[in-house]
Amino acid sequence: MTGPTISVRALSKSFYDEFRGEVRAVDGIDFACLPGQIFGLLGANGAGKTTTLRMLATILKPTSGEASLLGHDVVADPEAVRRNLGFYSASTALYPRLTARETLEFFARVNRYPGERVTERVDYLVERFGIAEYADARVDKLSSGMKQKVSIARTVAHDPPVLIFDEPTVGLDVLNALEMQDVIRHLRDDGKTILFSTHIMSEAEKLCDHIAIIHRGKILASNTLDGMRRDTGKHYLEDIFVAYVGGRKEIEAAERAALGAQER
Amino acid sequence: MAGGREVLWTLFRCEIRMLLRDKRTIFIGVILPLFLFPAIILVTRAVEERERVSLESATYYYAVTGTQRDLAGTLVRDALTRRAATADTSQPALHIEESQVAEPDSALRTGGIHLVVEGMAPDEWRTVRDEEERARRERAVTSGRGDDSEAAPAADEADDVEVPVLRLHYRDNSQRSGAAMREVRDALRDLRGEQRERLFRERGFPLDPADVAALEANNLATREEEAGALIGILLAPLIVMMMLTGGSIVAADAIAGEKERGTLETLLTTAARRWEVVWAKQLSVVAVGVVVTLINMLNLLVYVMLGVFELPEDFAVSVTPATLVVLLLLYLPLALLVSSAQLLLSGVSKTYKEYQFNFFPVFLLLLIPAFAAVLPGIELRSAVVLVPVANVAVASREVLTGEFHWLALGAAFFVNVMASAYAARLTVGTLSTERLITAAELDRAELLGGPALFPRRVLTWFGVLWALLLVTSLWFGEHVGIRGQVTFNLGVLFFGGALLMMRRYRLDPRSTLALRAPPAAAWLAVLVGAPSGLVTGVGVARLAQLVFPVPEEVVESFGQYLLPDELPLWQIVFFLCVLPGICEEIAFRGVLLHGLRRRFHPVVLCLVVGAIFGFFHVSLFRLIPTAYVGVLLSAVVVLTGSIFPAMLWHALNNATALVPARLGLWEGEQLPEGVLPLGIAGLAVSFWILWRTRRLYPGLRE
Repeated sequence: MTGPTISVRALSKSFYDEFRGEVRAVDGIDFACLPGQIFGLLGANGAGKTTTLRMLATILKPTSGEASLLGHDVVADPEAVRRNLGFYSASTALYPRLTARETLEFFARVNRYPGERVTERVDYLVERFGIAEYADARVDKLSSGMKQKVSIARTVAHDPPVLIFDEPTVGLDVLNALEMQDVIRHLRDDGKTILFSTHIMSEAEKLCDHIAIIHRGKILASNTLDGMRRDTGKHYLEDIFVAYVGGRKEIEAAERAALGAQER
Repeated sequence: MAGGREVLWTLFRCEIRMLLRDKRTIFIGVILPLFLFPAIILVTRAVEERERVSLESATYYYAVTGTQRDLAGTLVRDALTRRAATADTSQPALHIEESQVAEPDSALRTGGIHLVVEGMAPDEWRTVRDEEERARRERAVTSGRGDDSEAAPAADEADDVEVPVLRLHYRDNSQRSGAAMREVRDALRDLRGEQRERLFRERGFPLDPADVAALEANNLATREEEAGALIGILLAPLIVMMMLTGGSIVAADAIAGEKERGTLETLLTTAARRWEVVWAKQLSVVAVGVVVTLINMLNLLVYVMLGVFELPEDFAVSVTPATLVVLLLLYLPLALLVSSAQLLLSGVSKTYKEYQFNFFPVFLLLLIPAFAAVLPGIELRSAVVLVPVANVAVASREVLTGEFHWLALGAAFFVNVMASAYAARLTVGTLSTERLITAAELDRAELLGGPALFPRRVLTWFGVLWALLLVTSLWFGEHVGIRGQVTFNLGVLFFGGALLMMRRYRLDPRSTLALRAPPAAAWLAVLVGAPSGLVTGVGVARLAQLVFPVPEEVVESFGQYLLPDELPLWQIVFFLCVLPGICEEIAFRGVLLHGLRRRFHPVVLCLVVGAIFGFFHVSLFRLIPTAYVGVLLSAVVVLTGSIFPAMLWHALNNATALVPARLGLWEGEQLPEGVLPLGIAGLAVSFWILWRTRRLYPGLRE
């Protein structure tokens, strides 16, 4: 077995907020994500999940610490990191005036997928994600479910070995959320390594091979679900989460702080 | 694996493809202007023609009044007859008839007649003129305006006229009345000229130029050179304007639009490098800008050929291929610079709307230097070569008139390339600016509102206050006098505005206005510092004079305005010392400083608050000295954590400046020898005390 696909060591990120002063969104976290694994980053709103994933996707620069993807450092070699990565989040939108097929072709090319194989890859994705029916329709004419499929297909357009899904089911209805979970599972079965963030416990319970609980920018626990059950003596992930975090009041307080609690 | 060039091409093709599919933008940005501008010109021309025909075909009526009415009537009739006889088809005489109305003034008011000619004897005219002059002065005093606000009524002769005067009464708000006055005036002048000439001849004065000295102007410039000078002046503004309007079709969407849609984050997680993204976008802005400019130029040519646009007579253009190449070399970096500026604007804008909002200032910033060639005597071999855009404007004129220097052209080329590269580099930086990448997300401060939102809004509020201050002082300042203006500015704008902001954002007055007890030693520091600050302020004002020289009269008239003789001393102390000490401090060192305290480092904070305070004094020559005092006052609040010492300092500063001046003890601008070093020492001691006993303003940025 080779080393971890994603490796994070003492990673921190501080922001300067005009009102709250310096905010440590991520505070010295460590974790490792093994090949072919779905690694779940579980935390309440504002816990630091998105900031962590954005640092791994090289959109944000870490304040300190190290992170690497397939051995490529996110600061020293961001292009190599992004070449091997597909990033999906509720906020990563599509170009409305391109067709579904053009979208896939565009993302395959800008992610440096070999030019001569782009058409073949696009045809495969159209087939694989069942979007043939509307492949030549403009994205702004598609329903939200269709857009979701195109969006996932564009995430894997260049066939990256690592995928990051940041709260992928936020805003989706039940059917689309379930379909998204199926897609993630199938991608894992295809051999992809998946880093997945959510605040929905049932999702993490169903999908993740390994879970890290993140709270106030720190990782409080990192284990398999069974391991966490053993450590806490609780069965359901909700209870496990509350036990690690230190009670419901603490979760509420953290969410308020993340929203920018007022200081007089 | 795909190379950098393929990625660049893919990004570029995507931009262009999306633009071409945006039919509404193409229609509004490209197609509509092609027809709109000529349509406006045609309509304007048609309206003008209709007006001209209507004015020419109308009949105009005039009445003759006054003690010299018979003479006046004869003169007007003679003049009009003469004019009708000499008029040609290019400028036909208007049809003007005399009217016998009982009440000429009332008929003129109601539009029954268009002109009243009043014949007056010389003494009579002088009396009327003196009365009108006196009445005008009285009006000026009551309205607070200066003496020169209205022109005195005057005949077009000297004061000591000894011939009858014809006064033409008309109403300038009526086109026909104005036209009738001009026609009769010109006819009378022609007649007078003719009579004068006849009298000269009768008295034997030589009127033939050959008897005095013949004069002839000989233009050595060819028609092509003249046209070159004209095009040279217009080319740069025209191209900059077209590039800006054309390029902005893509630029607005390129980054700001992508942020708003959420596609920028998608793009930035791809393997495309930041510079590849910026280059591709810049390329598309340049390409579209150039294409739109070419389309507009061709359009212009077509309309010139169709006669929609008229060129000056004898207009001839001769541009050699070499000149064209030189111009292309000059305009290429300019096109890059314009597109870089637009893309940078798009990069720093969070949304499409914000781009549009910011576009106009950038448009002006680039367009104004493009008019540099209009300035008389300006040459490329001067400091202007270092000013991007302006150097191309001047270079164009020199190239088209054939008077250029290769070295200067090369320098202009280089300067624009460097400026463009720098702007592109800044744009790459905006793609790495984390706040802007995530700006499309729900803003926490927006969500919370109240005190969290205030730091984001405080500058907008002060911008609005400044605009109100400017408008009211320009429109009403002279009418309400110093007391009224001070009461409005301080009481309504500053105090009222501060209260409104605190209420709107639920700000705690105690912490917002820094209503805290200062260290006791701060009072001593204020007593030493306030007069010292004023003295050093005069020194700063002198230095500022070197940069912005202000005529002595402006300073004097301002002093007169600020310290009018009729204002008693207690009112000077109240309106100009106590009230500013309270109200201005509440607004600037209270609300403004509180709102900005976390945005800037404390030193920068003091400079920014001071500069804004200076700008609120709405006068270039007061800007630097008042900003200086503003910086000192901000520093006092930052070091004591309290607004009270700054209030006392401010009041003392004004009192030290104004009271001795009011009592005639000190002129304000002339410092006795040795006082300036004393002031510097006093200020140093004051701030040393403040520093040693500091109780810092809470919540400052570290």
